[in-house]
Amino acid sequence: MTEPFKSILVFLDGSEDSVTAAMAAIAMARRLDANLTAMYVVNTRALQDLVKARIFLDVEEQEYRRDIEGDAQRYLNHVERLGLQKGVHVTPVKTSGTVHTEVKKYLQEKHIDLLVLGGMSEIHSRRDELLSETDRMMRTAPCPVLVVRDNDTIWDMFESLPDQP
Amino acid sequence: MTLTDILDRDLMKIPLQSTTKHALIEELVDVLVQNRHVRNREELLSAVLSREALGSTGLADGIAIPHAKTTAVDTVSVVMGITREPIDFDAQDGKGSQFFFLVLAPEHEASAHIEVLASIARATASPALRRLLAASHSADEVMRLFLD
Repeated sequence: MTEPFKSILVFLDGSEDSVTAAMAAIAMARRLDANLTAMYVVNTRALQDLVKARIFLDVEEQEYRRDIEGDAQRYLNHVERLGLQKGVHVTPVKTSGTVHTEVKKYLQEKHIDLLVLGGMSEIHSRRDELLSETDRMMRTAPCPVLVVRDNDTIWDMFESLPDQP
Repeated sequence: MTLTDILDRDLMKIPLQSTTKHALIEELVDVLVQNRHVRNREELLSAVLSREALGSTGLADGIAIPHAKTTAVDTVSVVMGITREPIDFDAQDGKGSQFFFLVLAPEHEASAHIEVLASIARATASPALRRLLAASHSADEVMRLFLD
């Protein structure tokens, strides 16, 4: 029987939950000998919305964009290091735009067969359900989606994998 | 992260008492200082006023979203308040402001900060919600409106 997933994408958003999802994805990629990509989308749509609504000044938009770009690179580097630690090559992808749209586009273009998500925040209101990017990603992904919960179990699982020299 | 992830009734003041822009910003900052035991009140205040000096965060339709990055907080925090009557906050539409969201974020949480600001902008775009907020008398009522 062939392995079910050969190409995995984990979505990072700067939250601890998304890093945990990356750890789960690394463990899966190693077990399945699958390719693993980590993707961070700089949410320029939100930035543009804030400028349009005049909540942000142009100078703030530029400053925050730099901040998020820096965050994105830090998180991608971190996940690459985690992968190296466990002998899994992680391909980092940094892009920008509307989050769920960019993720869907990448999944389709690269024929990814599993999307791994963490950071599913609780839905407090009907409005949240409509606006959650993670929720939209889950609904619009053209492939199976794994939502990672229970951080402690994932951390234990990750730590129990032997490190690569 | 959305507004409802971090909205906290302890960080709401309804009604706000201040009638001037500067006093109102201080009143919002003090809600955070008193309820989150933030030590650097002056640093918080200075960050918000510095941002305000670049351009008013008073938007249209009675909404104002003063905000700043500061090392004085560890997580993104929102203080929400409503005045009984609109006050002059140098709003972009030249009208008074009545609904205030003070958003403070640490330097390293730019993404979350932006998401929360965008979430407030989207939520308060609803005229119906603004009308209901204007008629609210307590933090519990406001919480229910946002969580509906």
